[in-house]
Amino acid sequence: MISTPTLTRRQFVKAGGALVVSASLPSLSSRGSVEAAGSTLDATKLASWIEIHDDGRLLVRTGKIETGTGMSAFYAQVVAEELRVRPEVISLVLGHTDETPDGGFSAGFLTGANNLRKVAAYTYQALLDLAAGALNAPKDALAVTDGVVSGGGRRISYAGLVRGQRLELTIPIGGSLPALDPGQPTGLSGLTGLQVSGTPPTREIPQYSVIGESFPVPTVAERVRGDTEWVGDVRLPGMLHARMVRPSAVGATLVRAGSVDRARFPNAEVVTKGNLVAVVSPDEWEAVAAARAVAASTTWSDWSGLPGHDEVTATLRAQPWGAPSHERGDAAKVSAALSAAAKTVEASYEQPFTRHAPMGAYVAVADVRRDGSATVHTASAQSQGLRVQIAHALGVDVEKVVVRWHQGPAQYGRTTWGGDGAEGDAAILSQLVGSPVRVQWTIQEDLAWSTVSPAWVADVKGALDTEGRLSAVHSDWYAPHENDARLLGALLAGAPSVTPLATNRVSTVWAYEKIPVLERAFAMPSLGADATSAGLRGNIMRTPWQRQQNFATEALINEAAAAAGADPIQYRIDHTTNPRLIELLRATAKEAGWDPRPSPRPGARRTGGGLLAGRGVAVMIRSDAPWVAIAEVTVAPDTGEVRVTRFTVGLDCGKVMNPRQLRLTVQGGIVQGLGEALTEEVTFDRQKVTSTDWTRYRIPTMGSTPDIRMVITSYDDRGINSAGEAPNALPPPAVAAAIFDATGVPPRRIPLTAAYVKKLLSA
Amino acid sequence: MAEMTLTVNGATRTVDVAPDTPLVYVLRNQFMLGGVRLGCGMSQCGACAVLVDGREVRSCVTLASRVAGSKIHTIEGLPALWAEAREGTAAGGLHPVQQAWIDEQVPQCGYCQSGMMIAAVDLLARVPSPSVAQIREAFTDAPPSPHLCRCGTYPAIIDAVQRAARAMAL
Ligand code: FES
Ligand code: FES
Repeated sequence: MISTPTLTRRQFVKAGGALVVSASLPSLSSRGSVEAAGSTLDATKLASWIEIHDDGRLLVRTGKIETGTGMSAFYAQVVAEELRVRPEVISLVLGHTDETPDGGFSAGFLTGANNLRKVAAYTYQALLDLAAGALNAPKDALAVTDGVVSGGGRRISYAGLVRGQRLELTIPIGGSLPALDPGQPTGLSGLTGLQVSGTPPTREIPQYSVIGESFPVPTVAERVRGDTEWVGDVRLPGMLHARMVRPSAVGATLVRAGSVDRARFPNAEVVTKGNLVAVVSPDEWEAVAAARAVAASTTWSDWSGLPGHDEVTATLRAQPWGAPSHERGDAAKVSAALSAAAKTVEASYEQPFTRHAPMGAYVAVADVRRDGSATVHTASAQSQGLRVQIAHALGVDVEKVVVRWHQGPAQYGRTTWGGDGAEGDAAILSQLVGSPVRVQWTIQEDLAWSTVSPAWVADVKGALDTEGRLSAVHSDWYAPHENDARLLGALLAGAPSVTPLATNRVSTVWAYEKIPVLERAFAMPSLGADATSAGLRGNIMRTPWQRQQNFATEALINEAAAAAGADPIQYRIDHTTNPRLIELLRATAKEAGWDPRPSPRPGARRTGGGLLAGRGVAVMIRSDAPWVAIAEVTVAPDTGEVRVTRFTVGLDCGKVMNPRQLRLTVQGGIVQGLGEALTEEVTFDRQKVTSTDWTRYRIPTMGSTPDIRMVITSYDDRGINSAGEAPNALPPPAVAAAIFDATGVPPRRIPLTAAYVKKLLSA
Repeated sequence: MAEMTLTVNGATRTVDVAPDTPLVYVLRNQFMLGGVRLGCGMSQCGACAVLVDGREVRSCVTLASRVAGSKIHTIEGLPALWAEAREGTAAGGLHPVQQAWIDEQVPQCGYCQSGMMIAAVDLLARVPSPSVAQIREAFTDAPPSPHLCRCGTYPAIIDAVQRAARAMAL
């Protein structure tokens, strides 16, 4: 791709009011210049990204979406900042493959913001060129406030500049849209989408005025009024409602589908393809009731290819792991330090399967027409990747598929690779019945059949020198892979699917530069995968790999600090040179009223009645942002019950985009992470998942949520680092450290349920 | 099929649905009220909560036929409900609970929040100035709770309920 920007003002023609539409320039995209109806917009045309209307409003388009953490505010703020307009004048078109140019997953705000910042900056330069002509003043003498350009003693608004104009600008673009690629872990390339390249002049952080304000999230008020069109609200003419009848076991195959009792359900029908079984009806409740009846009379083959949740660790331990799929660090240095160690600390850590568990189950609507064209309505965070998977499953050209994005319950990463979900079911059923089909999963189905965050075990070893300082850390992390974003409907129907590879990544950012480290990640196929079964399909979940690996290494740092008789905060400060981390450790300790002393606390005990208090610390660095967490807990040694009484979290993400929204998202992420710390575990027997309702997959409640305090400072000289995703990774290691502090026993497994803690203390 | 007459957000309509249809499907598919969310369908999460004669009810496990003759309110009907309570003085505005939800920017993804606001309206009608402990109790343990939120908005909900309580006391 070209590497320098091309800003070409070719011609101005009357265009009835709205500027910036472009048609005549040859496309610079590798995909060619022809845009069929339904195609993705040409990203090399600036007008595909931003339209300035002559009423002063701006329309901004991106394939990224609102994940539920305020992206729609942040994107508006980024564009407004570069264009010197108020964010209120910006409307966003998000996620539709036929109305946006770039694709890419929405896993954090920075990936989307980088593109929008540049397109806004290119647009700003173009508007200044126009204004220089209109005001007859040199470009560098112009100033812009709230979309009004002044210079040479005169003023003109953007609206005035573009009225009746048509401006054509091309910009340089790199990257590619998703495509099937068997060499990639997920079976798809291009999941990051297109990137705007070049280096248009952008504002410096100290000049920011809109970035840094607590701009309200545009989607909030509409949700509160009940005006949101959620994906589950999409209704198409002639649409049928479907409920799925799932196999009796993860790998069971269909023996005989049950039939519909016509007297009871006159409009319902059973539809099958391979092991995909559904009941469709024009009436949703009829589909629900008839599907229950059909499920009761459907027979499946026997299958018992899972080990049962109590056997997970033993099963992982018995795997032939082979070579690591990814490693980082200095093997020679680490092994030398370990053999020269005065003492070593060594431990194994583990976590069972967990899952994303949104409050609403998957739902999708698909309309596959006779000519093979298809429209799929989704809440996926990866519309373009989904589009490729749908086209592949249906056996049609990707250009025939349009994916339209709608709001949905937050997915926490499970749709980032462009799959999982009800879209495969809906598209295949629609192709079979010839009508639009809406597939609504039940929560039981979602908690059983959606993808999971795989169980893992880790072996971590630290070398201590004679003064108790760590001279090396070696960590090995073993887990099923997290790349399976295949569409369940395609898998069950036997339709073509992508092929994920069994690879994992080292995803931690090592916080302790003074300690040589070797980190290795090993991978295996999904648990229970065999000839008829995809098994428990492993997928990424909020702060993937890093949150699990960071738990293991932070737990070891706490055990090493205890072995050294050192205060765990001071011990961390002694092993890092990162000034931002050190500063944040001190600030967070101060906010929490941390009293420096070694852990476990004096008087720590593992037996007896009453409540023991403990406190623990953990850190993490994600992108460049350091995080510090301090958990305070009480433990009842006789019952094992743990309560988190207060949680203090510190974050230095550089410039804070939107302070109020950041605090809300961090707070929410901490609550989510407390679920992983205390209660969340996917359970299963040899046939199927058994944690299929909210009493068995237990997420946090308001009653279990502690007082959460935050130490967040905005800095103008540290860049903008990602911030909203990571907080869920902090509670598990911090809470485990606090239990260690209270009892003298280091927990090496999450979740820290009463049953587990009781067993741990009585061992 | 069975005809039933329901009064939803002040409007009375007769619908023809299967006699065992849960209220959530009638509100969503016959009354086209998207503010009613389907969550667990098992009375475990609160996403589907609506008001029936002013009290929170889980519409996923309530037969529509059972509430014929009652006054049903969804979040779309909260502004009018408040206006009625204030004898029309607040017409056109939002219910103070809704306003507090916006002021505190409570929703993250927002999927659970219709039910959360319904629970808040129910609570504030009974306990005009609830303590934090009373709010926690109402959203966690008091039937039909719990109200679950995967995005972890609980602290923001506590702030918003207290803000709404202050506004409603004025
Ligand atoms: S959907 Fe009714 S309580 Fe969950
Ligand atoms: S705001 Fe997302 S589930 Fe509550």
